[in-house]
Amino acid sequence: MSEDAKSEEFEPNIVAFLCNWCSYAGADLAGTSRMHYLPNVRIIRVMCSGRVNPLFLVNALQQGADGVLISGCHPGDCHYLEGNYYARRRFMLMHKLLEHVGVDPGRVNMSWVSASEGAKFGDVIEESVTKAKEAGPMDQFRRRRINW
Amino acid sequence: MVDSKKLQDKARETLVRDDVRRLIGWKRGTYGYEAAPTVIKDASDAEALIFDPTCVQNLASFLTLEEKLPVPRGAEPDTRKVAVMVKGCDSRAIVQHLLEKAYGRDDVIVLGIPCRGVIDRRKAEKLFGDVATPVEVKEEGDKLVLEIGGEVKTVDRKDILMDKCLRCRYPNPLVSDFLLDEEVEKFADDDFADVDEFEKQSPADKWAHWEEQFGKCIRCYSCRNVCPMCYCVECIVTKLRPQWTRRSTDISENTAYHIQRAWHLAGRCIECMECQRVCPVDIPIMTLNRKLTRDVKELFDYEPGVDTEAQPLLASYNPQDPEEYIM
Amino acid sequence: MANYKFAKEKLAKVLSGLSDFKVLAPALTGDVARFQEVTDPAQVTLDYGNSNVPPKELMFPETETLFKYRLGQDEVEASVPSPEEKRVIFGIRPCDAQAYSIVDNLFRWDFNDPYFLNRRESTALVGLACADPCANCFCPSVGGGPASEEYLDAVMFDLGDAVYLKTLTDKGEGVAEALSGVLEAAGGDEKKAADKQAKDALGKIQRSIDTAGIPEKLPSLYDHPFWEQFSDRCLGCGICTYLCPTCHCFDIQDESEAFDARRARMWDTCMFAEYSLHTSGHNPRPTRKERTRNRISHKYSYFPEKFDVIACVGCGRCINYCPVNIDILDILEKSKEAEAKEAKTA
Repeated sequence: MSEDAKSEEFEPNIVAFLCNWCSYAGADLAGTSRMHYLPNVRIIRVMCSGRVNPLFLVNALQQGADGVLISGCHPGDCHYLEGNYYARRRFMLMHKLLEHVGVDPGRVNMSWVSASEGAKFGDVIEESVTKAKEAGPMDQFRRRRINW
Repeated sequence: MVDSKKLQDKARETLVRDDVRRLIGWKRGTYGYEAAPTVIKDASDAEALIFDPTCVQNLASFLTLEEKLPVPRGAEPDTRKVAVMVKGCDSRAIVQHLLEKAYGRDDVIVLGIPCRGVIDRRKAEKLFGDVATPVEVKEEGDKLVLEIGGEVKTVDRKDILMDKCLRCRYPNPLVSDFLLDEEVEKFADDDFADVDEFEKQSPADKWAHWEEQFGKCIRCYSCRNVCPMCYCVECIVTKLRPQWTRRSTDISENTAYHIQRAWHLAGRCIECMECQRVCPVDIPIMTLNRKLTRDVKELFDYEPGVDTEAQPLLASYNPQDPEEYIM
Repeated sequence: MANYKFAKEKLAKVLSGLSDFKVLAPALTGDVARFQEVTDPAQVTLDYGNSNVPPKELMFPETETLFKYRLGQDEVEASVPSPEEKRVIFGIRPCDAQAYSIVDNLFRWDFNDPYFLNRRESTALVGLACADPCANCFCPSVGGGPASEEYLDAVMFDLGDAVYLKTLTDKGEGVAEALSGVLEAAGGDEKKAADKQAKDALGKIQRSIDTAGIPEKLPSLYDHPFWEQFSDRCLGCGICTYLCPTCHCFDIQDESEAFDARRARMWDTCMFAEYSLHTSGHNPRPTRKERTRNRISHKYSYFPEKFDVIACVGCGRCINYCPVNIDILDILEKSKEAEAKEAKTA
């Protein structure tokens, strides 16, 4: 797997669920400040990280994402007060479950990025992409049109 | 052993009450090593009720399985209670139902039966073969005496009971209106050694294991239907708008289905192991559920199905919750 | 037709000899067998009771593409799966072969289903007679038998060290020809041993039901409460239907991804509430009482009414795998009791 990655310059696809008030704004800040961050990420804006159903991550991996990311406000700073606390619990358990199924833990990530942390957003993306590159293309339960 | 007469008398007593609609218990099966659940409405049917190590099914599932048709205009809904017989593990399902408010405490009458273990039919068939007549079981200390098709066989409990029974922490019902037998000692503590063992594998090996197992799945949804905690009116797997999981049985959809189910049981699975028992293609479903049960205990110090006053795990949070892997 | 034999230890060689065919045979995973395409002949076993998933999945796969298409710039490219090449199902039990002929009725009824029928025509069935029927088998009660040859192209009898193979049709002879290097001619001894095994096996069947009158009388019990003693404990899972070799209900769904899509059919079960759910929200079989009643009535009354054959082959899988001990023989016995009582009081 990683040999392929090196020879073909495997570029992972990361699907990121960013909360509107903090993380999305942080990503926006990175953009307006002309900070370069890796282009591998596809962003889906949600109002709060607590809105993210962890099964979205599974669905993303099925549809071909090589890595997934949930990003929200720092604990204590959620725009809706508690959403990120619920998200944190859910993510912890989903991460463990996916690890138990054999998904490389580097594919499934979460971060706290506030609206002023444009630079951190870039770092988070870089780390997610690096980990996904190490893990290689996601093949395990990607929809592969078997027997079509 | 539970005294059958005491059990049947109690059942009769319960059924003649004005406020009881039906009673769910076990009766002798038509063949083999497992009893059959039975729903009786008339006190005269109580003489068929039994309790012995063949009573494997979790009857708490029937409390949420009942489908109620809309009440005809002018008629009043039947709000009478349902009585149910439960073993220790089954009673955890009732506790979890109560804490999730699936129904009220006053809607059920729980006839609790302290349990010393139930037979694993797969182990029994391996030892003694299949049999076309029901098997009679008597308990003698550490052994079980089985009458199989006329022949009497004795076997050590540890060789024939379900794995869950050998590490049972809750043999006595945690909620009950009446106890039909003396309480028993807890068998063992659960050290989750099986989970530790599985975790040691590399991701590639784990996936190889699951690819083979999920490849067998025929998506009969028996695991979901038998589970006492799966009682959503519209299940995610049957939802069509939007469709989360396709009905086709390839590895992608099968894996997604099992992850979905294990996820929805996070912090709710009470380890009755029914899902694994009923699977016709022998998928080790509980491997996933037990991993989450252990992690839920370690990370959040939470155990489902023990305290009716507890909050559901994912409907609550602690500002000091652990934060591994979060950047 | 002709009689052959081969040494059981040469099974792998026999399977390799069928290299012109796609060979489907039982392989053990753990303690249970399931029919699969043979890639490694050493994995095939003839020492199995019956498979958990019936070989109906070889004629009527669990998920099957009906057609697929790709949206191009100016046109749509559509394609239908190509027909199967010649296949052999090696080691199928007589009950499962009988099931194919029952399901044939449906797939040839008002429309000839090309997918199923193509597979039927291109497949030779080399059966394996049962020496030791399982506890819950009742094939003789529904027109079959542990050594029934009626629906097979060839039949094998496992005689211990040797396997006696008897061809029954031209297709069966075709298979034997492909194995001409490996098969030996069988003599009277093998034939006698096979006949004895067949007779003994019939004597080992433990369960039975007299089906006379059931197809005609079951509809009269439509409103009878006796159904409740079974439907009350039914979980509504799909096990009985998915593992039944004669059950054949399916759902058709479209799956699409950007520019590629396919229409596929997959197994469905009348035991799910969604099966009969109308778009309006109305469900003519809203609870498990209606669905359980429907399933048994379909197998033992509606299907025989249309096609003159009971849609059950007595394989016993529904009895063995039902998690709550709903036993079809029990249901039929109770239906007879209920009917007898009704007749008396009428």
